[in-house]
Amino acid sequence: MISHRFDYSAPREIEEAVQILARAGEDCAVLGGGTWLVPNMTFAAHQPKIVLDPKHLDLSTIIEADDEISVGARATYADALRSPIISAHLPLLQSMASGITGGISITGQGTIGGSACYGNPSSDVPACLVALRARLRLRSSGGTRDVEASDFFLGQFATARRPDELLTGILFPKQTSEARWGYYKLKFSTGSWPIVTSAAIVEGGRARVVLGAATAVPLLSEGPFPMNLGGDALKEFAKSCVSMSAAEELSDELAGPGYRQRVAQSIVQRALTQCGTSR
Amino acid sequence: MTELLHICLNGKQIETAIDPRVLLIEAIRDCGAKGARIGCLTGDCGACSLELDGRLVKSCLVLAVSAEGSDVVTIEGSRHAIADELQTAFAACNGFQCGYCTSGMIMAAIDLLRANDSPTDAEIRRAISGNLCRCTGYEDIVRAVAQAAQALHIKDGKRE
Repeated sequence: MISHRFDYSAPREIEEAVQILARAGEDCAVLGGGTWLVPNMTFAAHQPKIVLDPKHLDLSTIIEADDEISVGARATYADALRSPIISAHLPLLQSMASGITGGISITGQGTIGGSACYGNPSSDVPACLVALRARLRLRSSGGTRDVEASDFFLGQFATARRPDELLTGILFPKQTSEARWGYYKLKFSTGSWPIVTSAAIVEGGRARVVLGAATAVPLLSEGPFPMNLGGDALKEFAKSCVSMSAAEELSDELAGPGYRQRVAQSIVQRALTQCGTSR
Repeated sequence: MTELLHICLNGKQIETAIDPRVLLIEAIRDCGAKGARIGCLTGDCGACSLELDGRLVKSCLVLAVSAEGSDVVTIEGSRHAIADELQTAFAACNGFQCGYCTSGMIMAAIDLLRANDSPTDAEIRRAISGNLCRCTGYEDIVRAVAQAAQALHIKDGKRE
């Protein structure tokens, strides 16, 4: 049982939810899939006074609207895998969702929005959202604002979401049919956290490459990239996408200082190579 | 401070007073469904796997209060051909050693075989990738799931 006392609230209306957040701010934790918040509470690493459960707020739907896809904040990885809309327009997101660690149950419990708000650099979601030019829709009692994914991730476990804001959804521009994509991640075993990830999109003679999990915030690079670039030119391009200082590089018990930097180029290269074969 | 929790547990409607701090795994065990086990409480081991409204979940990651009104099925309530064949195959293949992970493994295997009646070894390994066996008896577990799938196929064939 969780040791500290807290109030549990499952409001029926978004307005009620944002009022709770406005009053409680940092004392309130929003429950997503529970895969992080609940164990952190069990082990007393996080002791919010209020747990806000948005389960009645209808935030799990995936909708296609004109040239955008809207993914509700409570949509799980499994929801993304099942969605024909995501298959058709955001195959990179689907590829990411299929590789989530923790088995079928975690794929069905963990939410893309929850992962984004948690801001763990060693996770799959941040780099993918930046690569896909996603916008995070945040609602507070003062109104709604959209934040570009590239501005959303501010540091380890730190995002641009204010404590009084509720993530309601993530908006993605549809990938065009000419866009080619790649997603590659290095992890040491089936059940391990990603050590380094790379999400790449090649379109109109340019590549947009994001390196994830190597630094506190996903590292975005863009540049001219002829399709089917190979050999030394590809290596050089990949190298240009992974420049980081030793101070910026993350290191932990899974991968010590220098490791992520050393492998980053090949991970980017593999993501870019996939771009040649996708679709 | 307690709240009333209403769930359908293994086909039976239950109303029970719970502390809002209780996890779903703890609440259902207190109601007698002890087949689901408490393991890591971090979502890593899968010993607490059960079906919540038809989906496989790790119930240590679920606040019991948030499951209000839900349908919960543990291994005790899993009475159908797939569960029967898995039980037979796990026994025949020595698909368990200490047995602590077994109910979670079987819940994950039920979820797999419902969606895919002839899984490859790779698909079986993927399906149980969220369940840890500290005895490391994975080979026999994979063999047991494959044997159950095959047995279900043979029975299906006979019915046709």
